[in-house]
Amino acid sequence: MATFLIRRLAASLVTAILASIVVFLLVRAVPGDIVAQMLGQAGDDPRTAASLRAFFGLDRPVHVQYLDWLGSALTGDLGTSWNQGRPVAGIVLQAFAVTLELGLLTLLVATLVGVPLGLLAGVYEGRWPDHLVQAVNVTGLAAPVFWVGLMLLIGASAWFRWSPPIMYRGPTQDLAQNLEILFLPIVSLGILQAVAYSQFVRQSVVSAMGRDYVRLAIAKGLPMRTVVFKHVLRNILIPLVTFMGLILIQILGGVVVIESLFALPGLGRLLLTSIQNRDFPIVQGGLLLVVAMALLVNLVVDLLYTWVDPRMRR
Amino acid sequence: MATAAGASEATETGSGRRLLAGARRHPELVLGLVIVALLIFTALFPFALTGHSPTDVDVAGALQPPSDEHLFGTDDVGRDIFARAIYGTRVTLSVVAGSLLIAAVLGGLAGLIAGYAGRWLDMGAARLVDVILSFPPILLGVVITGVLGTGMVNLVAALAIVYLPVFFRIARAGAIAEAGQTYVEAARALGMPEPVILFRHVLRNVLPLVIMQYMILFPLALQIEAALGFLGLGIQPPTPDWGAMLEQAKNYLLIAPWMSVFPGLFILTAALGVILVGRGVQRIGDAG
Repeated sequence: MATFLIRRLAASLVTAILASIVVFLLVRAVPGDIVAQMLGQAGDDPRTAASLRAFFGLDRPVHVQYLDWLGSALTGDLGTSWNQGRPVAGIVLQAFAVTLELGLLTLLVATLVGVPLGLLAGVYEGRWPDHLVQAVNVTGLAAPVFWVGLMLLIGASAWFRWSPPIMYRGPTQDLAQNLEILFLPIVSLGILQAVAYSQFVRQSVVSAMGRDYVRLAIAKGLPMRTVVFKHVLRNILIPLVTFMGLILIQILGGVVVIESLFALPGLGRLLLTSIQNRDFPIVQGGLLLVVAMALLVNLVVDLLYTWVDPRMRR
Repeated sequence: MATAAGASEATETGSGRRLLAGARRHPELVLGLVIVALLIFTALFPFALTGHSPTDVDVAGALQPPSDEHLFGTDDVGRDIFARAIYGTRVTLSVVAGSLLIAAVLGGLAGLIAGYAGRWLDMGAARLVDVILSFPPILLGVVITGVLGTGMVNLVAALAIVYLPVFFRIARAGAIAEAGQTYVEAARALGMPEPVILFRHVLRNVLPLVIMQYMILFPLALQIEAALGFLGLGIQPPTPDWGAMLEQAKNYLLIAPWMSVFPGLFILTAALGVILVGRGVQRIGDAG
């Protein structure tokens, strides 16, 4: 177990470092750096530009810039935002808190809606509840998340004369208003994830229903309720938890559009505006955080599997 | 329309009757095929479906609700939304289909060679692909279009880069599995050159995996294309594109909701059609 853990950790670390190199080079490939943008069309004085580049450290070779950045990043210092003048770590974490709250609440809603629907469809495989759930699933998979958000905004305004508050408030500032703001984003993201969930649960249930232990339980005359909740559900719980991890990654990565639609100050929108403003330190720090989160969740999922199923340890 | 004609021709033969029986057993697949056929028809012959121009501006007739004259209403500069959605079919779908095709060919070939050749070539390529896959696709799309700038060519390039690793993985896994098969050994024993074994035999067995993956990714790529358009990073107006139409629409969300409703319905329908075909094909594959 220990060697497996070490090998797995080392692989994640290598991927993270390679990813950071990719991020670093990608960001520097953006045409028109911060200096060009600050000076605009008026300032093409090469001396001003050169001194500004030196100020931002852009005059050094790329690999020196990278190693310098990586060294600081390892100590938790992600540099200073070029546009806001504040430490990147603070800005990125603050935005990430918003995205994480949105992601976790969406996960909660998606689980509460998706799992029962999947169970229902799986238990009644081939009959009308199954067909109904499948039809909903396919439509949900096909609908663009941000368009669902647009439709919800239109619907809420037309039928309930309600629009979400414009100013964002954190959960510690004003929980009621925070949830009011997050309500529509959660629903629009939640539909897609609930659908993905119910597809997965249905598939797991269908394959579990054909297994000997389930057929024995049914043959013993156990009530269907006991069979489903005690035997089937328990056996699909582990894949379910790991699937939860994958869904969380998907939500955290996919919120860019929803955050900009609903004007939420989350990580996705921060990255989008920072790319547009050429604020490299924020883009680097933010992308690094996203990749690290994805690797972390994948690692936990892998370890969970290995812990439950020793056959996975090669 | 195109499929209805094709189906009535086919019923005259015996195989046609079998086709009809098959269609009854797979209603999902039939619905999907009908949608896809309609989309292809729309993409090829948009002028057959609307007399309006997708780009003609009429400021006096801006933001009109749906009517007999303008089926889906008009946008903020008075362009006919139905015409834009119809003409947008070709733009949006060819961007998605084209970028996925590039990703499938390049990623598939690279994966095929890496998986078949193995050793350091495989190790290096697989690691690089892992790195790209550790980025969420939509974020990667945002960053790449940020780097390359907006426009159709850059959008296609961005989507191709996002999905290239996925095809690489699939083709690589397929090639590794095939490389150990007896027929490869037999071909080698017969003195067949390696490239011939790879491209004539292994490729033939890996290709179905790649095609299946193409169908699975199509609706996802369509959504990302639309999302990038919605963020203003994709196709730029006045070229009609479903995602970009929604970007324009969000500023008039409550004044002119029709601007948001219809382009989204087109995206949903197109994705639905491909998903249904994919599921139908998969089900037939599982049964047979």
